[in-house]
Amino acid sequence: MITVKDLHKSFGSNEVLKGINAEIKEKEVVCVIGPSGSGKSTFLRCLNLLEEVTSGEVIIQGDNLTDPKININDVRSRVGMVFQHFNLFPHKTVLDNITIGPIKVKKMKKAEAEKVARPLLEKVGLSDKSDAYPESLSGGQKQRVAIARSLAMEPSIMLFDEPTSALDPELVGDVLAVMKDLAEEGMTMVVVTHEMGFAREVGDRVLFMDEGIIMEEDVPDNLFGNPQNPRTQEFLSKVL
Amino acid sequence: MEFITESHYYRVMPFLLEGLVWTLLITFVGLIIGFVLGAVFGFARLSKNKIIYGIATVYVEAVRGTPILAQILFIYFGLSDLTGINIDKITASIIAIAINAGAYIAEIVRGAVYSIDKGQEEAGRSIGLTRNQTMRYIIWPQAFRRMIPPLGNQFVISLKDTSLFSVIAVGELLYMGQQYYGMTFQAFQALTMVCVMYLIITVPTAVYLRRVERRLDV
Repeated sequence: MITVKDLHKSFGSNEVLKGINAEIKEKEVVCVIGPSGSGKSTFLRCLNLLEEVTSGEVIIQGDNLTDPKININDVRSRVGMVFQHFNLFPHKTVLDNITIGPIKVKKMKKAEAEKVARPLLEKVGLSDKSDAYPESLSGGQKQRVAIARSLAMEPSIMLFDEPTSALDPELVGDVLAVMKDLAEEGMTMVVVTHEMGFAREVGDRVLFMDEGIIMEEDVPDNLFGNPQNPRTQEFLSKVL
Repeated sequence: MEFITESHYYRVMPFLLEGLVWTLLITFVGLIIGFVLGAVFGFARLSKNKIIYGIATVYVEAVRGTPILAQILFIYFGLSDLTGINIDKITASIIAIAINAGAYIAEIVRGAVYSIDKGQEEAGRSIGLTRNQTMRYIIWPQAFRRMIPPLGNQFVISLKDTSLFSVIAVGELLYMGQQYYGMTFQAFQALTMVCVMYLIITVPTAVYLRRVERRLDV
């Protein structure tokens, strides 16, 4: 479903990704862990071209994103993204945040888009907040709205960029629960996270990144239980 | 009553009201055109295209680096000298306000758009909105709210700048006051009332803007 071949990304002279190869299958939940500055967020952002790729290939459902002729808006509408800082639209209500994608991109009628949005709000447990503005929500609620906003486009892949890192500890659980439900429904997910418990429980596979490359990848039980690479061992000994 | 109606404070008023009409007309029409110019050049200043950016930068810096008095004389006398076409004073005044305010508004637009968190654009693009849709539905509405206080400020500045057009004998507020004391030699009374007239417009605007600003803060 996602194929990444020898992906390089530089910011000026600073090479952040130094040749990433990865293959993500349909319905797979892949968690990306690693120290900060390891390039894991940049890697994720390359998957929907929020970062321009310096060299290499990213192929999503057969579409090569590095092909200059690709319609990136079309690809992005099939790849949902959830950000660390939520990035809700503050001038729009919760419901309007969710419906703007279907209305403007899929050209749905407002009523039609709301029919898509309301079950999603229910799914993330925020039916009563549809007319609220983002500023009145807690961080956890904002992030759940952001997830619903992405889901409204009915993406086949969801990318999560440290979705719980900006949340108060007691709010993390609600967001992770929504993500776990999604995973169980068979959504293909790539999750950059510091939540090792989540990676272990929900992830089908875990990638450990450091210094711009994937140092080690395995099923969670092996990677957490019996890491082979000394860098993985060192990292896990610090965070677990 | 007679001491009021006989006083120059009172008798200058018909002149000043006529002047005020022209002052407001020049200001409003000039600023509407100026806003369009400002939006166009403000976005040009955000452009990655070096030529577009360059043209906009030359415009903004040329206008901001020269006095408006020189600009109005340039438009009214300079251009007609060059082209042989005479434009009327009101049109020249409106053009001067539009071009002058346009440059400052361009910087207001640029600053407001630039101040919107990058994550907003990323979120818009990530749900599949095009660049233009993201600007129109996500960035611009938020930026416009931030532009209201500085735009109000520009309104007050441009309103006061129209007084400079008295040099080309536009019948605006200050010029009409001068006309009155030219005939009556009552400069103190006439100019007091001229200033009162400006303040009647500018003070409520400032108060209103402060209230808007406070509301936008929260």
